[in-house]
Amino acid sequence: MQANVQSAAKPDNYTAPELSDAIDLGLIDPSAARFGETAGGFLELTYKDKNYPRVSVRRTLPLGMPYEYLSIADEENHEIGILRKLADLDGDQRRLVEKELERRYYCPNVVEVRSVKDQLGYVYIDISIQGTGDITRRTCAIKDVNRNIRMLSDDSVILFDVDGNRYMIPSLKALSAKSRRRLEPYLF
Amino acid sequence: MAGIARHLPEYMKDAFAAQGVDPETIVFAIHTDMDRSGAHADAYTAVTMDELIMITGEEIVQPTKNARRIIARYDARAIERIPIAELTDIETERLVATGRLNAAMNGEPRALLVFSIGFLGDAERVAQVIKNIKEKRAPLLDVSIDTNRFCPKCGERYPEIGRAVCPHCMNQRSITRRLLGFFQHYRANVLLIIIVMIAGSAFSVITPIVSSRMLFDDVLTIGGRYYGMLGAMVGVILLVRALNLVMNMLYSFVLAKTVPWIVFDLKMRIFEAMQRLSVGFYTSKRTGALMNRINRDATNIYWFFVDGLPYLVVNSLTFAGVITLMCIISMRLATIVIIVLPVSILMFRMLWGSFKRFHHKNFVYGAQLNSMVSDSVNGQRVIKAYAREDAEANRFASVGNKQAYVDVALNKIAFTAFPLIYLFLFLGQVLVTLIGGMMVVRGEITIGEFLTFTAYLTMLYGPLEFMSWVSIWWARCVDSAQRVFEIIDAKPDVTEPEHPAEIDAMRGCIEARGVRFEYDPATPVLKGLDLEVGAGKMLGIVGKTGAGKSTLANLIARLYDVGEGEIKIDGINVKEWPLAKLRQDIGIVSQEIYLFIGTIADNIRYAKPGAGMDDVIRAAKAAAAHEFIMRLPDGYETRVGAGGQDLSGGEKQRLSIARTILQNPKILILDEATAAMDTETEAAIQTALTALQKDRTTIAIAHRLSTLREADSLAVIEDGKVTETGTHTELMKKMGAYFKLYKLQMEGLRVINMDAEG
Repeated sequence: MQANVQSAAKPDNYTAPELSDAIDLGLIDPSAARFGETAGGFLELTYKDKNYPRVSVRRTLPLGMPYEYLSIADEENHEIGILRKLADLDGDQRRLVEKELERRYYCPNVVEVRSVKDQLGYVYIDISIQGTGDITRRTCAIKDVNRNIRMLSDDSVILFDVDGNRYMIPSLKALSAKSRRRLEPYLF
Repeated sequence: MAGIARHLPEYMKDAFAAQGVDPETIVFAIHTDMDRSGAHADAYTAVTMDELIMITGEEIVQPTKNARRIIARYDARAIERIPIAELTDIETERLVATGRLNAAMNGEPRALLVFSIGFLGDAERVAQVIKNIKEKRAPLLDVSIDTNRFCPKCGERYPEIGRAVCPHCMNQRSITRRLLGFFQHYRANVLLIIIVMIAGSAFSVITPIVSSRMLFDDVLTIGGRYYGMLGAMVGVILLVRALNLVMNMLYSFVLAKTVPWIVFDLKMRIFEAMQRLSVGFYTSKRTGALMNRINRDATNIYWFFVDGLPYLVVNSLTFAGVITLMCIISMRLATIVIIVLPVSILMFRMLWGSFKRFHHKNFVYGAQLNSMVSDSVNGQRVIKAYAREDAEANRFASVGNKQAYVDVALNKIAFTAFPLIYLFLFLGQVLVTLIGGMMVVRGEITIGEFLTFTAYLTMLYGPLEFMSWVSIWWARCVDSAQRVFEIIDAKPDVTEPEHPAEIDAMRGCIEARGVRFEYDPATPVLKGLDLEVGAGKMLGIVGKTGAGKSTLANLIARLYDVGEGEIKIDGINVKEWPLAKLRQDIGIVSQEIYLFIGTIADNIRYAKPGAGMDDVIRAAKAAAAHEFIMRLPDGYETRVGAGGQDLSGGEKQRLSIARTILQNPKILILDEATAAMDTETEAAIQTALTALQKDRTTIAIAHRLSTLREADSLAVIEDGKVTETGTHTELMKKMGAYFKLYKLQMEGLRVINMDAEG
């Protein structure tokens, strides 16, 4: 039997609705949002006259777009909304959110690769790192180098050590030739 | 009260003492790596019976030549002391790459500590110690500081927390001794192998003496000891060669006879050790990776011992023998060799290093390409549906391209660097020929001695190459052995009680009090759960996915042990029940069904190996499985499991129910047993289950509330706690979470009915 689709036919100039018309992304209006820090050291948010005493800021694209599409959630992990760009917030507000992001996604930059040792299935990398303070030294142990030393682009690399810490090399070219040479065999 | 001061490192004691804290009063302390703003710092946190003390500052490390990490002094920047009485709700929080220790102080939530994620476990213990003190329990007194993080011998960080293996200090000798232990039963054979190999290499060392020196100097030279006795000489040469051959054959023969048994032994030991371990061992990620490597590890050990070790013995002896003989022939020529050799060994080693790395890169790219091919084959429908053929080809090309570059680099090394080393060796040989030739002309050595010397020179190449990479091989073997020993030595989390309770028969009364449990630190699944089920009664458990329902089932059967609180069966803590008895009397039918390789009858009989066919068929009938089994051509002898007959989810589930029916447990746990079934199958299974539940304590976990209608009582679990209990009618009257869930499901059914009528 042939189905009758005539009655449901749309006009000739019909185009399907855009996804953006159908689904609301839940973007946060930066002008209606007010971030603050509680006495206990947590990030709080007042949004559209409602106060959220302890919010978390999570990156939708932690590696690719660390300061865009930031999901803001309340204490129960329910999303309040998405902040399209960190830059949409003004000075102090931006710094507060940035601080929270840095705390959650702590990922110091590697400024020097001092030595790389391959021992018993682990690669020990002695590095100098710079987070939010002075340059410090760390020895990190990396297992499964092909999974845990990840090229983000042709020039940037992220390292994940066995503890779950992350270290970023924003630009290989910016490292010294010696540092680069030490790391080279482990870059895929 | 005596503290843990004796475990505290001196530098920490000093740091606390400098701040006016008596180190003797400290019951627990940790060292973390950040201040509260997330900047790098050396933060020391100590717990005494009354206070939480947090110092932030910087360790000044004394520079040393080796990797030793010696703290010269500690510069404190800030100190905070909080009375424990003021702290409530202390808990850890897992962020992405960091963690926090939070608590409420006089009702106000506060972030006490911030640290990088590796310290989460330590912070969790601080929280636990404080809770213990507040609840007037003994704090953890036996916890030492930093010994799980840094090697006590050299101060180097362990690569993995909880795996106290320091690659710098690992006692290779004790590992070797343990490894050799594997070969104890085969001592005689291994000894025979080595003797035969030594004899073989002795014959090959003798060969140049016979075929060069004696032949030229004694047989072919006028006035030689055996001048003209060519026939006899050829006979001797042949004999030496033949004996060499016989030794080689004997070696292969003994090896072939011994090796399979050593491998079997090794695998059996690992497998047996694995059976002893608790479920937790298999679910933790770290050990998951360990398991994957087991086969490779066994192979690594095996190859080193059957191939590496005998050759090491033989090559070392040949090497030493040849060098000695060379020195005897001519000290001057031998000196040239002794100078050239270490340089070439070094060159070989360096080359092997980069060769290995490029090989590894090549291997990884190869593996990536392979998985791309399999991705593309399995995902063809999707690729075509989204018209992504070109994009897939590009993805493949980008990795293929990289592999080609690595290949080129690899070939460059193989085709240029190796010949260069050989050229270097050849130059040494030329030098020997030149000087040796001159010595022959001057009559300092005979032609026979000269030819023997050059023959020995070529005999050095093999051992030379072997020596340059045997250390890499050995390192790999030790690494593998370490992992294997880790499994053999691992202590199961769930252990048989030391003094098990004497129990005749289980009645099936279950009681859970204040049960807390977490699989990973700082991610609690059960947060103080209370429950009670009378013997022979049925309790229905309702809740969202991830609320902790299945965890409860695992805890009752003691597949895991509770973190806090207790679970009692018939008034006796499950930890005191003899394990075998406990598990015999608890049957779990879960969504996760596992059929072993074997026949259907074997699989049903798994719960009771001695059961006769009558019982097997009876159980299958009760589980509504008999009919479908009889439709299969081989009936109860149909092979299932990996590579066997494909069964549907419903059919497999019915087999697992039959298995449980045969087990005849006193307590039955139905964990979403019918969740994956279509309505008709579910109805069939439900009938089977109803028969099974009769007079048995039953805990039924279900998503579909309609399956819990028969329950004597119901419990709603939300966020790791029981939030509502009562009968269906009581809970409906309460109009709480259960009411909402029920209404939602009824609404769904109503829509379906309307559609059906419309």
